[in-house]
Amino acid sequence: MMRGTTGRNISGRNALPLGLLVLVLMPLLLMPIAAVFIFAFRGGPGAFLRALSSQDAQFAFRFSLLIAFATAAINAFVGTFAAYVLSKYRFPGKRSLTIMVNLPVAIPTVVIGTSLLLLWGPIGLLGQMLQPLGLQPMFSPVGVLLAHLVVTFPYMLGTIKPLLDELESTYEEAAYTIGASRWQTFFHIILPALRKGLFTGTLLTFAHSLGEFGATVLVSGNLRLRTQTAPLFIFAQFEAGNIETANAVAAALALLSFVLFFFLFRYTGERVI
Amino acid sequence: MNLYLATIKLIRVRRWTEKLNFDRRILARQMRTWFPSMFWILLFGYAVWPWMPWQARPPVTVTFYGFSILEESMNGTVFPAFQDTWREASGEHVEFISSFAGSGTVTNQLIMGVPAQLALLSLELDAQRLADKGLVSRESWESLPHGGIVNRTPMVILVRKGNPKNIRDFSDLARPGIRIVHPDPLTSGGAAWAILAEYGAGMRMHPDRPHQAGLETLKGIWRNVVAQAHSARAARMQFENGFGDALITYEQELLWDRMHGRLDFEIVYPHSTILTEHVLVVVRRNIQPDQRNIVNAFVDFLWSDRAQTLFTRTGFRSVNDRINESNPVFGQIADPFTVADLGGWEKAKREIVDHVWKEQVLKELGRGR
Repeated sequence: MMRGTTGRNISGRNALPLGLLVLVLMPLLLMPIAAVFIFAFRGGPGAFLRALSSQDAQFAFRFSLLIAFATAAINAFVGTFAAYVLSKYRFPGKRSLTIMVNLPVAIPTVVIGTSLLLLWGPIGLLGQMLQPLGLQPMFSPVGVLLAHLVVTFPYMLGTIKPLLDELESTYEEAAYTIGASRWQTFFHIILPALRKGLFTGTLLTFAHSLGEFGATVLVSGNLRLRTQTAPLFIFAQFEAGNIETANAVAAALALLSFVLFFFLFRYTGERVI
Repeated sequence: MNLYLATIKLIRVRRWTEKLNFDRRILARQMRTWFPSMFWILLFGYAVWPWMPWQARPPVTVTFYGFSILEESMNGTVFPAFQDTWREASGEHVEFISSFAGSGTVTNQLIMGVPAQLALLSLELDAQRLADKGLVSRESWESLPHGGIVNRTPMVILVRKGNPKNIRDFSDLARPGIRIVHPDPLTSGGAAWAILAEYGAGMRMHPDRPHQAGLETLKGIWRNVVAQAHSARAARMQFENGFGDALITYEQELLWDRMHGRLDFEIVYPHSTILTEHVLVVVRRNIQPDQRNIVNAFVDFLWSDRAQTLFTRTGFRSVNDRINESNPVFGQIADPFTVADLGGWEKAKREIVDHVWKEQVLKELGRGR
């Protein structure tokens, strides 16, 4: 199946901008990624596999994936709900609420981590009340999940809300006129129209959660075999001078991200973000 | 074979291949829909595997926070050795959850409430900070063997290969023209030890006028400091990147590197230097009733001959001199001293770090903050 290509073919005239783009991309994007792979395999495939199969690395990978799955699943629901409310309901203060729920994109993740710590931590506003009950959400997997939910929240919202805004209201109105309830309309009319957006949004959330560092490093306590995610593991290994181990895990994480990105391209018609 | 039969055969073959092609297309389409689902199912399966009900979960865990240079030593040798000992003794598997960072950082994390049962800090001053915040009592380390001190390592001088500036002692560092990389005592535990080492070495060189000599040594050295890094490790990085002629740091880090063939520099042992002492703190309130036995057993294990020998194999000096004597990797120090010789940490911090270094040396050199 041939797909029509838009734009000109490569000829003398546009070889220059293309060459410039590649020249800019080389040191910015391609070479650093290549360096990770080269360093990861410098000790041979045996050393690479050994680094990956260590208990710590395995835990970090699994923990990262679990958190990413949970984050994607929860935010798929909450994000869609938020998008629905912000798109279909009219109420005072809607604009400011829309801005507020999108804030996590603009705030540095470290700040989000700090604020979570100051709210839920043992010396935090709410954490102080939880302490006597024996509940301690920070420095535990719950804290990591909480941080990831906050940080990745806008991605689901950002993909779903434009789709809902663009959705012709005539279909919904038609459904209402023949007696469909809000739920029925949502399930039979709106949800099918959002399928692609749901897919893209969930995948984006998953990918961002997998790579999240700034907030995680603060709320997790960086506990090996308990709250250490793959990015934290890479950082810890790098700090300890085990550059090979760090690079092996970094390479595996990069590979997984490539696969995710491939899905994003392949099944959403190349319209990413 | 006549033409008719040949034609029929050709048509059959054609149909068959067409059918095959058709099947292939369906297969390809099915692959396209199945592959992502399979991928996700496998990925999810991989992630949840250790948490499945048929996997035996470790029944007990111990959470341990340590300052940075301990990481290889604890994760690589001491934890596994205790796991073996404990399995032999009780048949139980114990899991160690650990985290390593600068001593000050670890202390701050503990104050913020990380659920650690044990913390091994680089200086007693940090333990004191925990006591001041009401997290632990002083007894939590003072009642332990050796007053909570698990291991030691002296502060030594690292110089470029061949020792081109002929540095033999702390007093040589005060010579004009020597460039020194030093960690910042405001943030680094190692730097606080280094200041005590420099001041103390001066004191012991001239017992007739100790404080004057200490101040002079410290001033001379700090006049030559060209780079101040936020941690001992960062200072090491700067030195490795070609900064300076000398670096004052922990012997353990250098021995560890030498054991792994990574040390491209020379270690200079001063005539007189301080032995840093690393203090274990037991955070009683984070210990659940079912963990009490195992935490106590591990605390005892840390001072056993087995663990102390393991520490020496990773470059630390044991609190037990008998174990150190059998180990040829340690350099000779003619006149080692400890913080107790300077009157204990509280006095040393107040009089040497704050009063002498911060208020006299830095001010006089015009670096007062």
